[in-house]
Amino acid sequence: MVSRDNTELHAAVERLRKCKDLDLDDALALAETSVRALTKFAKTHDADTDVKLQAVAGKVASLKEGISLLQANHLRHTHIPEAGRELEETLAATETAASSIMEAAEAIMDADRSCPDAYLETVNEHVMAIFEACAFQDITGQRISKVRENLDSIKTRVARFADAVSTTDSQTPVCDKEEKRKKRKKDLILNGPAGEGEGVSQDDIDSLMAG
Amino acid sequence: MSVDLSMPVLVVDDYKTMIRIIRNLLKQLGFSNVDDASDGKAALEKLNGKKYGLIISDWNMEPMTGYELLKEVRTNETMNRTPFIMVTAESKTENVIAAKKAGVNNYIVKPFNAATLKQKIDAVFGD
Repeated sequence: MVSRDNTELHAAVERLRKCKDLDLDDALALAETSVRALTKFAKTHDADTDVKLQAVAGKVASLKEGISLLQANHLRHTHIPEAGRELEETLAATETAASSIMEAAEAIMDADRSCPDAYLETVNEHVMAIFEACAFQDITGQRISKVRENLDSIKTRVARFADAVSTTDSQTPVCDKEEKRKKRKKDLILNGPAGEGEGVSQDDIDSLMAG
Repeated sequence: MSVDLSMPVLVVDDYKTMIRIIRNLLKQLGFSNVDDASDGKAALEKLNGKKYGLIISDWNMEPMTGYELLKEVRTNETMNRTPFIMVTAESKTENVIAAKKAGVNNYIVKPFNAATLKQKIDAVFGD
Protein backbone atom coordinates (compact mmCIF):
# COMPACT_ATOMS: atom_id res chain seq x y z
CA MET A 1 0.00 0.00 0.00
CA VAL A 2 2.76 2.43 1.01
CA SER A 3 4.62 1.54 -2.13
CA ARG A 4 1.58 2.42 -4.29
CA ASP A 5 1.34 5.84 -2.53
CA ASN A 6 5.04 6.45 -3.09
CA THR A 7 4.58 5.76 -6.78
CA GLU A 8 1.63 8.16 -6.82
CA LEU A 9 3.73 10.77 -5.02
CA HIS A 10 6.61 10.39 -7.48
CA ALA A 11 4.18 10.72 -10.37
CA ALA A 12 2.67 13.91 -8.88
CA VAL A 13 6.12 15.44 -8.33
CA GLU A 14 7.13 14.57 -11.92
CA ARG A 15 3.92 16.14 -13.23
CA LEU A 16 4.63 19.33 -11.35
CA ARG A 17 8.26 19.42 -12.49
CA LYS A 18 7.12 19.39 -16.12
CA CYS A 19 4.46 22.02 -15.49
CA LYS A 20 5.68 25.60 -16.01
CA ASP A 21 2.69 27.43 -14.53
CA LEU A 22 2.22 25.99 -11.08
CA ASP A 23 -0.81 27.24 -9.28
CA LEU A 24 -2.14 26.82 -5.76
CA ASP A 25 -4.36 23.88 -6.77
CA ASP A 26 -1.30 21.95 -8.07
CA ALA A 27 0.60 22.64 -4.86
CA LEU A 28 -2.36 21.57 -2.73
CA ALA A 29 -2.83 18.40 -4.79
CA LEU A 30 0.84 17.52 -4.12
CA ALA A 31 0.40 18.32 -0.44
CA GLU A 32 -2.64 16.03 -0.27
CA THR A 33 -0.83 13.16 -1.97
CA SER A 34 2.19 13.68 0.30
CA VAL A 35 0.07 13.71 3.43
CA ARG A 36 -1.80 10.55 2.34
CA ALA A 37 1.42 8.72 1.64
CA LEU A 38 3.05 9.88 4.84
CA THR A 39 -0.03 9.12 6.95
CA LYS A 40 -0.10 5.50 5.84
CA PHE A 41 3.62 5.25 6.40
CA ALA A 42 3.40 6.84 9.85
CA LYS A 43 0.54 4.59 10.95
CA THR A 44 2.92 1.69 10.85
CA HIS A 45 5.49 3.56 12.97
CA ASP A 46 4.16 6.26 15.32
CA ALA A 47 0.63 7.03 16.51
CA ASP A 48 1.55 10.62 17.49
CA THR A 49 2.88 11.42 14.03
CA ASP A 50 -0.28 9.93 12.60
CA VAL A 51 -2.44 12.38 14.61
CA LYS A 52 -0.31 15.34 13.45
CA LEU A 53 -0.50 14.24 9.84
CA GLN A 54 -4.26 13.84 10.14
CA ALA A 55 -4.43 17.46 11.36
CA VAL A 56 -2.30 18.64 8.42
CA ALA A 57 -4.54 16.68 6.05
CA GLY A 58 -7.60 18.36 7.57
CA LYS A 59 -6.04 21.80 7.14
CA VAL A 60 -5.15 21.10 3.50
CA ALA A 61 -8.70 19.93 2.80
CA SER A 62 -10.11 23.05 4.46
CA LEU A 63 -7.77 25.29 2.41
CA LYS A 64 -8.88 23.56 -0.79
CA GLU A 65 -12.50 24.14 0.08
CA GLY A 66 -11.82 27.78 0.95
CA ILE A 67 -10.07 28.36 -2.36
CA SER A 68 -12.80 26.72 -4.41
CA LEU A 69 -15.50 28.73 -2.58
CA LEU A 70 -13.69 31.96 -3.44
CA GLN A 71 -14.34 31.27 -7.14
CA ALA A 72 -11.42 33.56 -7.95
CA ASN A 73 -11.60 33.03 -11.71
CA HIS A 74 -15.29 33.87 -11.78
CA LEU A 75 -14.60 37.03 -9.78
CA ARG A 76 -11.72 38.02 -12.07
CA HIS A 77 -13.53 37.36 -15.34
CA THR A 78 -17.10 38.34 -14.47
CA HIS A 79 -17.80 40.32 -11.29
CA ILE A 80 -14.85 42.72 -11.33
CA PRO A 81 -14.88 43.63 -15.09
CA GLU A 82 -18.67 44.03 -14.92
CA ALA A 83 -18.37 46.46 -11.99
CA GLY A 84 -15.71 48.43 -13.91
CA ARG A 85 -17.95 48.59 -17.01
CA GLU A 86 -20.94 49.80 -15.00
CA LEU A 87 -18.85 52.54 -13.36
CA GLU A 88 -17.48 53.67 -16.74
CA GLU A 89 -21.03 53.84 -18.15
CA THR A 90 -22.13 55.79 -15.08
CA LEU A 91 -19.27 58.26 -15.51
CA ALA A 92 -20.08 58.73 -19.21
CA ALA A 93 -23.81 59.20 -18.53
CA THR A 94 -23.09 61.73 -15.78
CA GLU A 95 -20.79 63.70 -18.08
CA THR A 96 -23.32 63.68 -20.90
CA ALA A 97 -26.10 64.84 -18.59
CA ALA A 98 -23.96 67.59 -17.03
CA SER A 99 -23.01 68.78 -20.51
CA SER A 100 -26.67 68.83 -21.68
CA ILE A 101 -27.77 70.71 -18.56
CA MET A 102 -25.00 73.27 -18.97
CA GLU A 103 -25.74 73.72 -22.67
CA ALA A 104 -29.36 74.48 -21.79
CA ALA A 105 -28.38 76.84 -18.97
CA GLU A 106 -25.89 78.63 -21.22
CA ALA A 107 -28.55 78.99 -23.93
CA ILE A 108 -30.91 80.58 -21.36
CA MET A 109 -28.13 82.91 -20.16
CA ASP A 110 -27.32 84.00 -23.71
CA ALA A 111 -30.92 84.21 -24.96
CA ASP A 112 -32.15 87.49 -26.46
CA ARG A 113 -34.46 89.14 -23.92
CA SER A 114 -35.68 91.94 -26.19
CA CYS A 115 -38.79 89.98 -27.22
CA PRO A 116 -40.53 88.56 -24.10
CA ASP A 117 -42.59 85.93 -25.99
CA ALA A 118 -39.59 84.54 -27.90
CA TYR A 119 -37.50 84.64 -24.72
CA LEU A 120 -40.17 82.73 -22.78
CA GLU A 121 -40.35 80.11 -25.53
CA THR A 122 -36.54 79.70 -25.48
CA VAL A 123 -36.49 79.40 -21.69
CA ASN A 124 -39.31 76.78 -21.71
CA GLU A 125 -37.59 74.75 -24.39
CA HIS A 126 -34.29 74.66 -22.49
CA VAL A 127 -35.93 74.01 -19.12
CA MET A 128 -37.55 70.91 -20.69
CA ALA A 129 -34.09 69.86 -21.95
CA ILE A 130 -32.80 70.17 -18.36
CA PHE A 131 -35.64 67.96 -17.04
CA GLU A 132 -34.93 65.36 -19.74
CA ALA A 133 -31.19 65.34 -18.99
CA CYS A 134 -31.92 64.76 -15.28
CA ALA A 135 -33.38 61.35 -16.20
CA PHE A 136 -29.78 60.09 -16.17
CA GLN A 137 -30.10 59.72 -12.40
CA ASP A 138 -32.54 56.81 -12.73
CA ILE A 139 -30.22 54.82 -15.03
CA THR A 140 -27.02 55.61 -13.15
CA GLY A 141 -28.80 54.72 -9.89
CA GLN A 142 -29.57 51.27 -11.32
CA ARG A 143 -26.00 50.86 -12.55
CA ILE A 144 -24.59 51.81 -9.14
CA SER A 145 -26.95 49.29 -7.50
CA LYS A 146 -25.48 46.58 -9.75
CA VAL A 147 -21.95 47.61 -8.73
CA ARG A 148 -22.99 47.49 -5.07
CA GLU A 149 -24.40 43.97 -5.56
CA ASN A 150 -21.12 42.91 -7.18
CA LEU A 151 -19.09 44.38 -4.33
CA ASP A 152 -21.32 42.61 -1.78
CA SER A 153 -20.78 39.32 -3.59
CA ILE A 154 -16.99 39.85 -3.70
CA LYS A 155 -16.99 40.85 -0.01
CA THR A 156 -18.88 37.68 0.97
CA ARG A 157 -16.53 35.38 -0.94
CA VAL A 158 -13.34 37.10 0.28
CA ALA A 159 -14.62 37.00 3.89
CA ARG A 160 -15.39 33.27 3.55
CA PHE A 161 -11.93 32.70 2.08
CA ALA A 162 -10.22 34.72 4.84
CA ASP A 163 -12.08 32.65 7.47
CA ALA A 164 -11.09 29.40 5.75
CA VAL A 165 -7.38 30.19 5.48
CA SER A 166 -7.20 32.15 8.79
CA THR A 167 -3.82 33.70 8.09
CA THR A 168 -2.53 37.17 8.98
CA ASP A 169 -2.27 39.72 6.16
CA SER A 170 1.14 40.24 4.60
CA GLN A 171 2.56 43.76 4.73
CA THR A 172 4.18 43.28 1.33
CA PRO A 173 2.66 45.56 -1.34
CA VAL A 174 0.49 43.77 -3.91
CA CYS A 175 2.36 45.42 -6.81
CA ASP A 176 4.73 48.33 -7.56
CA LYS A 177 1.94 50.29 -9.22
CA GLU A 178 -0.18 50.19 -6.08
CA GLU A 179 2.80 51.11 -3.91
CA LYS A 180 3.61 54.11 -6.15
CA ARG A 181 -0.03 55.20 -6.08
CA LYS A 182 -0.05 55.02 -2.25
CA LYS A 183 3.20 57.00 -2.01
CA ARG A 184 1.91 59.69 -4.40
CA LYS A 185 -1.29 60.04 -2.38
CA LYS A 186 0.68 60.39 0.85
CA ASP A 187 3.31 62.81 -0.53
CA LEU A 188 0.81 65.05 -2.32
CA ILE A 189 -1.89 64.83 0.38
CA LEU A 190 -4.48 63.37 -1.98
CA ASN A 191 -7.31 62.38 0.35
CA GLY A 192 -10.12 62.75 -2.20
CA PRO A 193 -13.63 63.94 -1.40
CA ALA A 194 -14.46 63.57 2.28
CA GLY A 195 -17.19 61.20 3.44
CA GLU A 196 -20.20 62.19 5.55
CA GLY A 197 -18.95 63.67 8.82
CA GLU A 198 -15.35 63.83 7.60
CA GLY A 199 -13.43 66.88 6.42
CA VAL A 200 -14.03 70.49 7.39
CA SER A 201 -16.69 72.99 6.29
CA GLN A 202 -16.09 76.15 4.29
CA ASP A 203 -16.49 78.16 7.52
CA ASP A 204 -13.82 76.04 9.24
CA ILE A 205 -11.54 76.51 6.22
CA ASP A 206 -12.07 80.27 6.36
CA SER A 207 -11.08 80.22 10.05
CA LEU A 208 -7.96 78.17 9.28
CA MET A 209 -7.02 80.57 6.47
CA ALA A 210 -7.58 83.60 8.72
CA GLY A 211 -5.70 82.11 11.69
CA MET B 1 -8.32 97.72 -4.33
CA SER B 2 -11.09 96.76 -6.76
CA VAL B 3 -11.06 93.64 -8.93
CA ASP B 4 -9.97 94.25 -12.51
CA LEU B 5 -12.55 92.29 -14.48
CA SER B 6 -10.45 92.43 -17.65
CA MET B 7 -7.44 90.67 -16.10
CA PRO B 8 -6.58 87.25 -17.51
CA VAL B 9 -7.72 84.39 -15.23
CA LEU B 10 -6.36 80.86 -15.50
CA VAL B 11 -8.71 78.05 -14.45
CA VAL B 12 -6.98 74.68 -13.85
CA ASP B 13 -9.06 71.51 -13.54
CA ASP B 14 -8.92 68.04 -15.09
CA TYR B 15 -12.73 67.88 -15.44
CA LYS B 16 -14.06 69.75 -18.46
CA THR B 17 -17.42 70.07 -16.72
CA MET B 18 -15.85 71.88 -13.75
CA ILE B 19 -13.90 74.19 -16.04
CA ARG B 20 -17.16 75.02 -17.80
CA ILE B 21 -18.95 75.67 -14.48
CA ILE B 22 -16.17 77.99 -13.23
CA ARG B 23 -15.97 79.75 -16.62
CA ASN B 24 -19.74 80.42 -16.50
CA LEU B 25 -19.60 81.62 -12.90
CA LEU B 26 -16.71 83.95 -13.76
CA LYS B 27 -18.65 85.20 -16.78
CA GLN B 28 -21.62 85.95 -14.50
CA LEU B 29 -19.25 87.86 -12.19
CA GLY B 30 -18.07 89.93 -15.17
CA PHE B 31 -14.72 88.28 -16.01
CA SER B 32 -14.22 88.10 -19.77
CA ASN B 33 -10.61 86.93 -20.19
CA VAL B 34 -10.51 83.34 -18.98
CA ASP B 35 -8.12 80.58 -20.07
CA ASP B 36 -7.99 76.99 -18.85
CA ALA B 37 -5.55 74.12 -18.36
CA SER B 38 -6.12 70.46 -17.55
CA ASP B 39 -3.39 70.00 -14.90
CA GLY B 40 -0.49 71.76 -13.18
CA LYS B 41 1.99 71.01 -15.96
CA ALA B 42 -0.26 72.43 -18.68
CA ALA B 43 -0.95 75.45 -16.43
CA LEU B 44 2.77 76.15 -15.98
CA GLU B 45 3.22 76.18 -19.75
CA LYS B 46 0.46 78.80 -20.03
CA LEU B 47 1.86 80.79 -17.09
CA ASN B 48 5.29 80.88 -18.72
CA GLY B 49 3.82 82.38 -21.88
CA LYS B 50 1.35 84.92 -20.40
CA LYS B 51 0.94 87.01 -17.29
CA TYR B 52 -2.23 86.11 -15.38
CA GLY B 53 -3.97 88.16 -12.73
CA LEU B 54 -5.50 85.19 -10.93
CA ILE B 55 -5.10 81.39 -10.85
CA ILE B 56 -8.05 79.23 -9.77
CA SER B 57 -6.93 75.62 -9.44
CA ASP B 58 -8.18 72.20 -8.44
CA TRP B 59 -5.89 70.10 -6.18
CA ASN B 60 -6.22 66.50 -7.37
CA MET B 61 -4.95 66.26 -10.97
CA GLU B 62 -2.47 64.20 -12.96
CA PRO B 63 0.38 64.33 -13.75
CA MET B 64 0.92 67.55 -11.77
CA THR B 65 -1.42 68.41 -8.90
CA GLY B 66 -2.65 71.88 -7.98
CA TYR B 67 -0.60 71.67 -4.78
CA GLU B 68 2.58 71.11 -6.81
CA LEU B 69 1.54 73.93 -9.16
CA LEU B 70 1.09 76.27 -6.19
CA LYS B 71 4.57 75.44 -4.89
CA GLU B 72 6.08 75.91 -8.38
CA VAL B 73 4.32 79.27 -8.81
CA ARG B 74 5.48 80.51 -5.42
CA THR B 75 9.12 79.65 -6.13
CA ASN B 76 9.12 81.31 -9.57
CA GLU B 77 10.19 84.96 -9.46
CA THR B 78 8.09 86.05 -12.43
CA MET B 79 4.81 84.68 -11.09
CA ASN B 80 5.23 84.29 -7.32
CA ARG B 81 2.88 87.22 -6.59
CA THR B 82 0.01 85.91 -8.73
CA PRO B 83 -3.07 85.38 -6.53
CA PHE B 84 -3.89 81.68 -6.23
CA ILE B 85 -7.25 80.26 -5.14
CA MET B 86 -7.55 76.53 -4.55
CA VAL B 87 -10.99 75.11 -5.47
CA THR B 88 -11.08 71.47 -4.43
CA ALA B 89 -12.94 68.55 -2.89
CA GLU B 90 -9.91 67.99 -0.61
CA SER B 91 -11.38 69.18 2.67
CA LYS B 92 -9.13 67.67 5.32
CA THR B 93 -7.48 70.09 7.74
CA GLU B 94 -4.03 68.88 6.65
CA ASN B 95 -4.80 69.95 3.06
CA VAL B 96 -5.84 73.47 4.09
CA ILE B 97 -2.79 73.86 6.34
CA ALA B 98 -0.41 72.58 3.64
CA ALA B 99 -1.91 74.91 1.02
CA LYS B 100 -1.71 77.88 3.39
CA LYS B 101 1.91 77.05 4.18
CA ALA B 102 2.67 76.83 0.46
CA GLY B 103 1.24 80.33 -0.06
CA VAL B 104 -2.34 79.91 -1.26
CA ASN B 105 -4.44 83.11 -1.07
CA ASN B 106 -7.78 81.44 -0.52
CA TYR B 107 -9.33 77.99 -0.38
CA ILE B 108 -12.79 76.94 -1.57
CA VAL B 109 -14.21 73.50 -0.91
CA LYS B 110 -16.33 71.82 -3.61
CA PRO B 111 -19.26 71.91 -4.12
CA PHE B 112 -19.44 75.68 -3.99
CA ASN B 113 -21.65 78.46 -5.36
CA ALA B 114 -21.19 81.74 -7.22
CA ALA B 115 -21.50 83.78 -4.02
CA THR B 116 -18.62 81.89 -2.38
CA LEU B 117 -16.43 82.28 -5.47
CA LYS B 118 -17.17 86.03 -5.61
CA GLN B 119 -16.55 86.45 -1.88
CA LYS B 120 -13.16 84.71 -2.08
CA ILE B 121 -12.06 86.60 -5.20
CA ASP B 122 -13.06 89.87 -3.52
CA ALA B 123 -11.17 88.87 -0.37
CA VAL B 124 -8.02 88.08 -2.37
CA PHE B 125 -8.10 91.51 -4.03
CA GLY B 126 -8.90 93.26 -0.76
CA ASP B 127 -12.46 94.36 -1.54
